[in-house]
Amino acid sequence: MSTAAIHAVPAEQLTHVTFDATMEERIAELLTHYPTRRAALLPVLWLCQERYGWIAPGVIEAVAARLGESPAFVQGVVTFYTMFYTSPPARYVLQVCETLSCAVCGGRELLEHLKTRLGIDLGERTPDGTFQLIGVQCLGACGSAPVVQINDDYYENLTIEQLDALLDELSQGKEA
Amino acid sequence: MPKVTIDGTVVEVPAGTNLIEAARQAGVDIPYFCYHPYLSIVGQCRICMVEIEGAPRLAIACATPVTDGMVVKSETSARVKEARDAVMEFLLANHPLDCPVCDQAGECLLQDHSFTEGRDTTHMVETRRTFPGLERRLLGPHIVQNQNRCIHCSRCIRFTQEISETAALTYKSRGNHAFIDTFDGQPFTDPFSACTADVCPVGALTIREFRFRKRAWKLRSTPSVCPGCSIGCNLWIDHHERTVYRFTPRENPAINATWLCDWGRFLPESLNEAHCLHPLHRVEGQLHQVSWGEAVRALALDVSAARTLRVVASANLSNETLFLARELFVRHLKGELVVPVHPGEPRRMKNGKGEWLSSRDAHPNSEGARRLGLELVDGERLARFLYGAADLTVILDPTAHPYLSTAEALQLLRVSPTLSLARTNHPTAEVASWLLPVASLASDEGTFTASGGHVQRFQPAFAPAGEARPAWQILQLLARAMGVSALDLDTPAAVFAAMAAREKGFSGLEWERLGDGGHSTYREHQHVG
Amino acid sequence: MEPILLRARGVPDSRHIDTYLAAGGYEGLKKALTMDPDAVTKEVLDSELRGRGGAGFPTGRKWTFVPKDHPGPKYLICNADESEPGTFKDREIIEYDPHLLLEGIAIASYAIRANTAYIYIRGEFVRWARILETAIAEARQRGILGASVMASNYRLDVWVHRGAGAYICGEETSLIESLEGKRGFPRLKPPFPAVVGVFGKPTVVNNVETLACVPSILTRGAAWFASIGRPRNTGPKLYCVSGHVRRPGVYELPMGVTFREIIEEHCGGIRDGHTLKAFFPGGSSAPVMTPDQIDVKADFDACAEAGSMLGSGGVIVLDDSVDMVEAAANLAHFYAHESCGQCTPCREGSDWAMDILDRILEGHGRREDPATLLRICQYASQGMTICPLGDAFALPISSIVKKFPHEFERHIAAATPRPPKKLPVLPWAGPRPGFDGQ
Repeated sequence: MSTAAIHAVPAEQLTHVTFDATMEERIAELLTHYPTRRAALLPVLWLCQERYGWIAPGVIEAVAARLGESPAFVQGVVTFYTMFYTSPPARYVLQVCETLSCAVCGGRELLEHLKTRLGIDLGERTPDGTFQLIGVQCLGACGSAPVVQINDDYYENLTIEQLDALLDELSQGKEA
Repeated sequence: MPKVTIDGTVVEVPAGTNLIEAARQAGVDIPYFCYHPYLSIVGQCRICMVEIEGAPRLAIACATPVTDGMVVKSETSARVKEARDAVMEFLLANHPLDCPVCDQAGECLLQDHSFTEGRDTTHMVETRRTFPGLERRLLGPHIVQNQNRCIHCSRCIRFTQEISETAALTYKSRGNHAFIDTFDGQPFTDPFSACTADVCPVGALTIREFRFRKRAWKLRSTPSVCPGCSIGCNLWIDHHERTVYRFTPRENPAINATWLCDWGRFLPESLNEAHCLHPLHRVEGQLHQVSWGEAVRALALDVSAARTLRVVASANLSNETLFLARELFVRHLKGELVVPVHPGEPRRMKNGKGEWLSSRDAHPNSEGARRLGLELVDGERLARFLYGAADLTVILDPTAHPYLSTAEALQLLRVSPTLSLARTNHPTAEVASWLLPVASLASDEGTFTASGGHVQRFQPAFAPAGEARPAWQILQLLARAMGVSALDLDTPAAVFAAMAAREKGFSGLEWERLGDGGHSTYREHQHVG
Repeated sequence: MEPILLRARGVPDSRHIDTYLAAGGYEGLKKALTMDPDAVTKEVLDSELRGRGGAGFPTGRKWTFVPKDHPGPKYLICNADESEPGTFKDREIIEYDPHLLLEGIAIASYAIRANTAYIYIRGEFVRWARILETAIAEARQRGILGASVMASNYRLDVWVHRGAGAYICGEETSLIESLEGKRGFPRLKPPFPAVVGVFGKPTVVNNVETLACVPSILTRGAAWFASIGRPRNTGPKLYCVSGHVRRPGVYELPMGVTFREIIEEHCGGIRDGHTLKAFFPGGSSAPVMTPDQIDVKADFDACAEAGSMLGSGGVIVLDDSVDMVEAAANLAHFYAHESCGQCTPCREGSDWAMDILDRILEGHGRREDPATLLRICQYASQGMTICPLGDAFALPISSIVKKFPHEFERHIAAATPRPPKKLPVLPWAGPRPGFDGQ
């Protein structure tokens, strides 16, 4: 299994967003799931994040217009949830669980190791844009602590050695 | 109707009333921050805790409707006092203690409740949370934001979502780091933006135009009506030492709930202008100051002698002034009188039932003029009215119509003697043979008829500048000097009574009962006034 | 005990609908469809099944609160937000047996006469959302979901709805707000969701494990289900054990085993060279328990009697290497991060408690800190807040302060006063620009 890299569309290409036919079709399908347009907001945002890599202000405006909401409302929703990226993420976002079970079962050591190895602190990204390190709260996999989520994938029961091997593989760009 | 006992007082209130409103009627003030009678109930601030007999836990008064036989303790419950004390401590944990430099001081709910519910010490020794960059920020053209002071009541957000319907404000982020913002930090240009500062219980949002101009406790408030359009929003003129500092909304569920649009709200600056302070008479091309006595005596002769008399009235004048003008100039002297009107920008207001009222009429009293049977004319017909010579032209309000400032109008007015009332500099002053100083809305008294038909009183905040007098009084003096004793009515109330006795549009109305319609107006801070 | 909820774990290709059908899957739904919806509810009521999400409310009772004569649509929501620290059981069910969950959803929807069901799954569970979508597609294709469920003329659509990273959305009214496309702010109650829920319609929100119990209640009967455990605490339970045990993981055991059995027998005891110091019996929001309470039964009523709660069944085991002040600080960070910020006591209290605990760990504790923490916890819980997140942060932290006072004392005894804050002197950078340059 290899984690798919995120390809974030640069901000300057997302100042004015129009959805193409594929996006429109998928949005239309999502709208059939709910009795209100607003309810499709989270699914549509997910769709946009899949497509553009992050939720740029221009994307927010397009989503707001499509769903009949004010851009401020949509931005309020986007910033409430931690998983929507409001700036372009690195290709691999390392999300290290910091909550109790992981913390006491090696999570803290894992995090310290990552900081040293990558030379970055929490919330930062490597200069080449490959890795970004963030601390997250409980990922719901405490039985296999410590857990790191990389992009969409869970990596559980991780040792420092396994994590190193994983990062080597990812940074060699096998997938990208 | 359910009967409820609050701190020992029994009140009977309509079903569905919440405990805050029921307590208000029982004379008990339950503190609150997030509750607002015209916004949805969210129960966020948790200060309005009360004890309900039979309930194990304290309840929030804002979200609890009365039930028959309910027994509620607010001030009389030790548990309630402790809980409110704790909530105050939470709220103040991160709130800056900057009241001395905060412009909200004096009309701040946090300050008020801190005084009544809180304590003067805290257990908090940590570093306060701050929002660098959001401490003195222009949120929009009229609103200054200091996020450090925000207590997260969400009133401003709910206002833009539920009342102005722009949904222009939102929380960003979450938890203790949430802050108020617009989309992408763009300017907050809601047409009702300043209302968000009204509903802000603290100094997080303040009105840029008013900031640091006057401490709230220095202000006196006088009930008045907005002169900005025909909707007739009720407001308070907040003033100090004969200067108007601001308009604040005055509750009227039928018209403006507790809101004002930004256009109307920022008119008061114009009320402070007064350039014409004494009666002036033009002799050989030069204006000379004369006394009111001389002016009225001379004018009474001129007016009586005029065989052709034409009067330009105004839909900005009160019903009382218009009535006196009609009676004196038309009924008594057989002159001609028109009321020029011009369309204004579209204005909107939401009433207490959530219905939009709209207006494209720039005048506060066109409806009153119409009901008095006066002839309303547009600029075209005003021009025709002024064309040709007359023995005397009377202009009761030079700002009645923009046409009056045009070169063409001045050309026409030059032809014959003109008497003009005036407050501010206006081109008609160049051609008028008589200029009489008139009081502003802030120094006048009378009624306007709103486009919805409500006859509403406005009251004088302070004496007029210089020797200026209210327009109705100038007409009364003229009537007296001319010996028309039926119109020698020395108060607006007397004029109103005469009008109500004669006019269908006013029949059955009583001066004393006009205005706030008998209900107690919702106001979070009562200024003396 | 034979596995019921985890019977598919280890079975090859267990997720596929054919595997599920071959093992007798969807028989419960088939049976339910022949019954009156109220009879289905009655069966669940009789089984004494209690909600597995945390509150332990009787599931059948919850279903009966839905007004029967309500004319418009009704909704069932499956809560797969699984965000309580220490809980990872729902993921296990979805991983191995998604159709078991779908069958439970279908039966519950039928019982409350809902034609639409949503599965609200936490945003991080991308893999498990896909598993569910595949399973729903399979079920639709076989006519088990859709316009006519198993040819019964009962219509049921099931949609997967992904959250996006918010612990609070596990709380049912917050989940509903989130599903409606808003910020996850919990609602004031009453009205309860069963009367005014999602889109303003009657709505039942049930946890994944709860719904997964339903098919076997239908096939084997309420009496069989109630025979597991003891009265009011019936059925199989998934215990999620994490922390310092030899074999952490999800264990399906009859309700009412003791924590000793769970920790020592099933999980192989505490890791080598260490002893048990404390455990959270039901996720991190439950008051902490100590080794002398290890013989307490792991069921709803026994945990409540012991001053804690079974919650979601997430047992977090901490050994003697753990500094309990650090554990409290860790949890405080979690709750401060996850507080939605809507109401005052939780928003301010969680942040404040976190600051105090961090300061103690930095070596600047003060003698009054434990009392201040207890005061914060007291007034952030027990009805002072809109939703139970106030209690969720207050209970574990106050219980740690009360049960491990000596650990706080040790830190505080060694503490030095915090050095005075140096105020930054900022250089004058000219007037701040506004929109019009002012």
